[in-house]
Amino acid sequence: MSPSPRPPSYTLEELNEETFILNLGPQHPGTHGVLRVILHMDGEYITEADPILGYGHRMQEKIAESVTYTQMLPYMARMDYLGALPYNLAWVCAVEKLCGFEVPRRAEYIRVITSELSRISSHLLWYGAFLLDLGGFTPFLHAFADREKLLDLLESVTGSRLTYCYYRFGGVPTDIDEDFLTNTLKFVEHLRKSLPAYHDLVTGNVIFEQRTRTVGVILPFDACRYGVTGPVARASGFAYDVRRQEPYSAYPDFDFAIPVEEAGGCLARYLVRMREIEESLNIIEQAIHALPEGPIRSKVKKVIKPPKGEVAMAVETARGELVIHIVSDGGKIPYRVKFRVPSFSNLSIFARLARGQLLADALAILGSLDLVIPEIDR
Amino acid sequence: MADRIRKVLKEAGLEFLPADYDETGIHCELTLIPEALLNLVEKLKIHGFFLESVSAVDHIDKDIIEGRYLFNHYEEAARLQLKIPTPRMAPVLPSIGAVFEGAVWHERETAEFFGITFEGAGDTRHLLLPDDADFHPLRKDFSLQQA
Repeated sequence: MSPSPRPPSYTLEELNEETFILNLGPQHPGTHGVLRVILHMDGEYITEADPILGYGHRMQEKIAESVTYTQMLPYMARMDYLGALPYNLAWVCAVEKLCGFEVPRRAEYIRVITSELSRISSHLLWYGAFLLDLGGFTPFLHAFADREKLLDLLESVTGSRLTYCYYRFGGVPTDIDEDFLTNTLKFVEHLRKSLPAYHDLVTGNVIFEQRTRTVGVILPFDACRYGVTGPVARASGFAYDVRRQEPYSAYPDFDFAIPVEEAGGCLARYLVRMREIEESLNIIEQAIHALPEGPIRSKVKKVIKPPKGEVAMAVETARGELVIHIVSDGGKIPYRVKFRVPSFSNLSIFARLARGQLLADALAILGSLDLVIPEIDR
Repeated sequence: MADRIRKVLKEAGLEFLPADYDETGIHCELTLIPEALLNLVEKLKIHGFFLESVSAVDHIDKDIIEGRYLFNHYEEAARLQLKIPTPRMAPVLPSIGAVFEGAVWHERETAEFFGITFEGAGDTRHLLLPDDADFHPLRKDFSLQQA
């Protein structure tokens, strides 16, 4: 007589006894802004993550469709407040393209120098915050000490420390002086000397590597489906950088490498950003040495009234590809403005990456994506 | 430069119409009927295009809302814009969230701001607006004072 099959000693419901819902945010240091994530947990593991957005929604697109092209300038820095100058650049470049304005070479160089400084400041802040997420406090202090010097530099030329509004249609409003140039070159030297210390603190550390190397791996196939860009895409093996692929401003004049990693994990994203800081330093140095003389602003009309038409202007911000899509009906106010922001797509892949991960690893993934929530919420 | 787009469109049986890239930043622009979208989008995925955005433009004077899709390629600049007009009274567009997962969020955003129904979308919750918002702020007849 064959033994009758034994009934299982537990039901599926009992197996899931440990399942519970954990609410992360909206006010949580790990979410870097007002982001809420509803996590379905099975013990320590995440079975499902559901990001809830919109806490910082300010209807930026509707505002852009209600004010003139010039009035929209100060709003740009309020989207990505950590790397604000590339956002400024995107708006002026889009409108200049739409209207066919000329920009003097010197102004373009100044724009590149300040934009790259802004990128470095964003990456330094990310470096500090990312390591804080992983439980390391010291790197944060180093990064912020250096970022402080950088903010002083940018303050001396733009007048503000965070939400810059420095570029104008047709150029920049104020020229940079000798002091700024010497101080910036000093800063480039200083940061080059400090970067090895950054790496000594973090890169190669066994605990850091094990917590990041195979965590949050984005496969190239997934990168396409979610449309990730910037350092996140470059860490998955794509040498995709708008500055190279669709050159704008004075970027074609400079020789710089595009750091690429194949592994796709948090560690790869870390390495890409660290090397990007070096490349930005290279660009700044080249731009200062080759800075052309001449006017800083071409004559443009006070009232901007672009012809009927549309333009899609792509710019590489600190976080990835920003596309500003303007539809003009020939009036003083844009008919339709769409901001395609990088963090939006970069966060949309998070739910997929977090599935099956430990909670602490999910926070490492969030940190490695380098999100700015006001940019996503707009 | 836009050979990749040409190839994909040929496979999908569509005509290639180059746009003025220097003026607009777009390599190719197409106006489609809703039924043709999914077939083309699947081809785009096979050829390694990535989704930049899904959005819409409200043409209140023509009484239509135009769905806008932007695609690009990681290896060379190839920005393709797809336009799909749909009646303003009851705008419906096909969902591409099953092909490009990243489109789900874009569609949720476009749906709440324009009042568009994305047919076949799995997740139809609001994304940025409050759950009980019953207005569509990016429609042209919605004034800022209303908000």
